[in-house]
Amino acid sequence: MDIDSCTRKAVSSSPSEKIHLRPMTLSDIDDFMVWATDINVTRFCTWEPYTSQEAGIGYINSFVLPHPWLRAICLDDDRAIGSISVTPVDSIRGEIGYVIGSKYWGKGIATEAVRLVAAEIFKEKPEMERLEALVDVDNIGSQKVLEKVGFVREGVMRKFMCLKGNVRDMVMFSFLPSDSLL
Amino acid sequence: MEMDSNETQPTVVVSSPPGRISLRPMTLSDVDDYMVWATDAEVARFCSWEPCTSREEAIKYITDSVLTHPWLRAICLEDDRPIGYILIMPVDNIRKEIGYVLARKYWGKGFATEAVRLVTAEIFKEMPEIERLEALVDVDNVGSQRVLEKVGFTREGVMRNYIIMKGSVRDMVMFSFLPSDPFK
Repeated sequence: MDIDSCTRKAVSSSPSEKIHLRPMTLSDIDDFMVWATDINVTRFCTWEPYTSQEAGIGYINSFVLPHPWLRAICLDDDRAIGSISVTPVDSIRGEIGYVIGSKYWGKGIATEAVRLVAAEIFKEKPEMERLEALVDVDNIGSQKVLEKVGFVREGVMRKFMCLKGNVRDMVMFSFLPSDSLL
Repeated sequence: MEMDSNETQPTVVVSSPPGRISLRPMTLSDVDDYMVWATDAEVARFCSWEPCTSREEAIKYITDSVLTHPWLRAICLEDDRPIGYILIMPVDNIRKEIGYVLARKYWGKGFATEAVRLVTAEIFKEMPEIERLEALVDVDNVGSQRVLEKVGFTREGVMRNYIIMKGSVRDMVMFSFLPSDPFK
């Protein structure tokens, strides 16, 4: 499997701003609140915008810190502008999810973050056979991110998930250890 | 989440034209008919279970897994003897998954198609909260894919490396049927 690892390196078109991934901490709370309070950002998320820093701290403590694999997406100044995570679905499947502050949309940042994760995650988790993503049918921007990285669009799963009280069609994407990054 | 297994005897569902197949709960007295398909390696090929090897094992499996199942029905011919079974499993609040198994002698006659059609037609009335009935079929299990297509399920796509089946990672075809979908 590692013979192909050099072809999986996160190269190709870089975003206009360089990003890196690092663990998220409580000291990121102010930057977290920037995207977590933004209704444009939460539109396709299962959660509503945060309204208090206390709730944000609660989220970081109860969800972020114990998460098996979650990283802050940072610019050069090491400040978080979003986060990306891989959550185990079962013993062989992981689900990728990401959120970026809307000020940073359209710059290829999410694409670069997803590419970095797809390039590394199978080395970190050799038992993983499938990295998948579920995207709302209307969330074209996020679908484009995955397509640009090289995820395979497997199909539309109709009435797949409840999002804020509505049952939504979701597009299923996957990336396998044997797939090539674009 | 699970169906109330203390419900009064579920009604027997009869197919049309009448006399082809009917669905009813399974009982321990079905053990010998159960063994016909459960011991068959061809039948077990795309199932998560290995072929059954003894009557004791069959009795234990029926007792522990079949009789306790939230929604499982024997598929019976006119003589009321089971030739397989069909079941509905909860996935979450809005999704259920359908599964079925048939003795090999009865393959290729449309019985599974009929059973799936019957259950699909009834299940949304029985479970009005269900928004989606889905089925996952091994890419190589073409026969079972045809069953779902003939009923009118939508083939949504191939999920690559989706599950481990008997130690191998398999691609699975995802199908779905919604309350609003038409039957074929």
